[in-house]
Amino acid sequence: MKNWQKIAEAYDLRIPDSDLERIAPSLDTLELAFRPLTKRIPDDVEPAITFRILAESGE
Amino acid sequence: MTLLEAAQALRKRAVSSAELTETSLKRIGELNPQLNAMMTTLEESARAQAQAADEELAQGADRGPLHGVPIAVKDVFETRGVRTTCGSVIFLHHVPDRDAAVVERLAAAGAVLVGKTGMHELAYGITSNNPHFGTIRNPRDPERIPGGSSGGSGAAVASEMVFMAMGSDTGGSIRIPASFCGTVGLKPTTGRVSRYGVMPLDFSLDHMGPLARSVRDAAVTLQAIAGFDPRDETSSQEPVGNYLPDHGCSIHEVRIGLPQNFYFERLDPDVDMAVRRMAAIAESLGASILPVRVPDIEALNAVGRVILLAEASALMEKYIGNRDQFGSDVLALLDQGRLLPATDYVNAQRLRRMMQREFAHLWSQVDCLFTPTTPMAAPQIGEKTAHLGDFVEDVRLAATRLVRGINVLGLPAISIPCGRDRRGLPVGLQIVGRPFDEALILRVAAALEDAAG
Repeated sequence: MKNWQKIAEAYDLRIPDSDLERIAPSLDTLELAFRPLTKRIPDDVEPAITFRILAESGE
Repeated sequence: MTLLEAAQALRKRAVSSAELTETSLKRIGELNPQLNAMMTTLEESARAQAQAADEELAQGADRGPLHGVPIAVKDVFETRGVRTTCGSVIFLHHVPDRDAAVVERLAAAGAVLVGKTGMHELAYGITSNNPHFGTIRNPRDPERIPGGSSGGSGAAVASEMVFMAMGSDTGGSIRIPASFCGTVGLKPTTGRVSRYGVMPLDFSLDHMGPLARSVRDAAVTLQAIAGFDPRDETSSQEPVGNYLPDHGCSIHEVRIGLPQNFYFERLDPDVDMAVRRMAAIAESLGASILPVRVPDIEALNAVGRVILLAEASALMEKYIGNRDQFGSDVLALLDQGRLLPATDYVNAQRLRRMMQREFAHLWSQVDCLFTPTTPMAAPQIGEKTAHLGDFVEDVRLAATRLVRGINVLGLPAISIPCGRDRRGLPVGLQIVGRPFDEALILRVAAALEDAAG
């Protein structure tokens, strides 16, 4: 499992240790469910976020 | 009395909008000290709106079924000159200078806004146990939660304070309180109802919709609030349909999918029985009940959680320096979102697109899906775990398990009461439809409501 404390320190998130301990199990569970899914994404699948630009908004 | 019955009574001059509004305000005065459903009551402006509605109706100027009817909106909808807190102390003194698009449209339809309903802090949770503004209680049993995050709207409608209350739904926040409080709750398709002027929890999962006393009340509300709004980038130009089901509407030959995987696992047996009973009623009305296998909803829920955690934390990043402003449950979620790498968020949005395609295949087999809305009836206030057979599950995860994925897919879904459990608590049936096919799920729901009462 990931070391959430070290990640929080690296990002300088300033999350108290007691709070990190409380959320670590939820993050671990999500990690277990989510990580394998990322391995089955074909390269040509784009994220479901669209940036649209209209001709009249060009500068 | 339903909203449509009130509308009919208004037109027969059997009652006035002023009388309906006084009744509503009186009921709020009597019940709100216990239920805490209403965050703000707008007595003066509501009376003025009611008087105007009566005058217009007397002159023959009829704006439709909402005209003169007392309603409320969740305190996430901005209201010009009226404090809008989003259930958070961060916005304790936030008085917007604009109305949300939904508020504008409800006003144009002549609805009388009697108040703003309470909610889970920042719409980020399902208990509506708000550390800043108090616990909202379920009118069916005040020792139980009303669900959330639109808990005040569910409680206000179930206790008959108002005929309809608007909610928002990011991972089930309309449908969960509808299920727990025994009301109808409609989450429209992504883009169907404008998000303009709604304080966001999440850019890509938020939806706006009504909680109401009947399916047709929800339908006429959707009719009033649906439609393109250029101020919302995600607003759809798809034509608005005719949402109000006819009386005696038929569901003959409608193909209803009953999932054979995921949705009927880990349920309270009373919930299972109530939902299957509704499927049997639908079949007796001429619909086809078809067993179907749905794509991996556990995976869909994981994707939804990553998107929500990341987007909500991005939104609240500028406030999180002052940790004392947040309740502990919301803070825990915001911290989780800050720990996710950007790559996970992008990949979650890629998985979302893949799963949307997988799910789309279902619509060649069926016209809608029947599922339970929640795996259990309303938990007690403070209850942390749900016991579902041999399975023990976090209450928050259990309550969102059957509804969250539908937000990721952007599909329309409605929750309607479908019976009671052994303790007499309401149980909800969720009907999920094709994109922008709100008319069909409303028709199926209305036929069931007519048949089951």
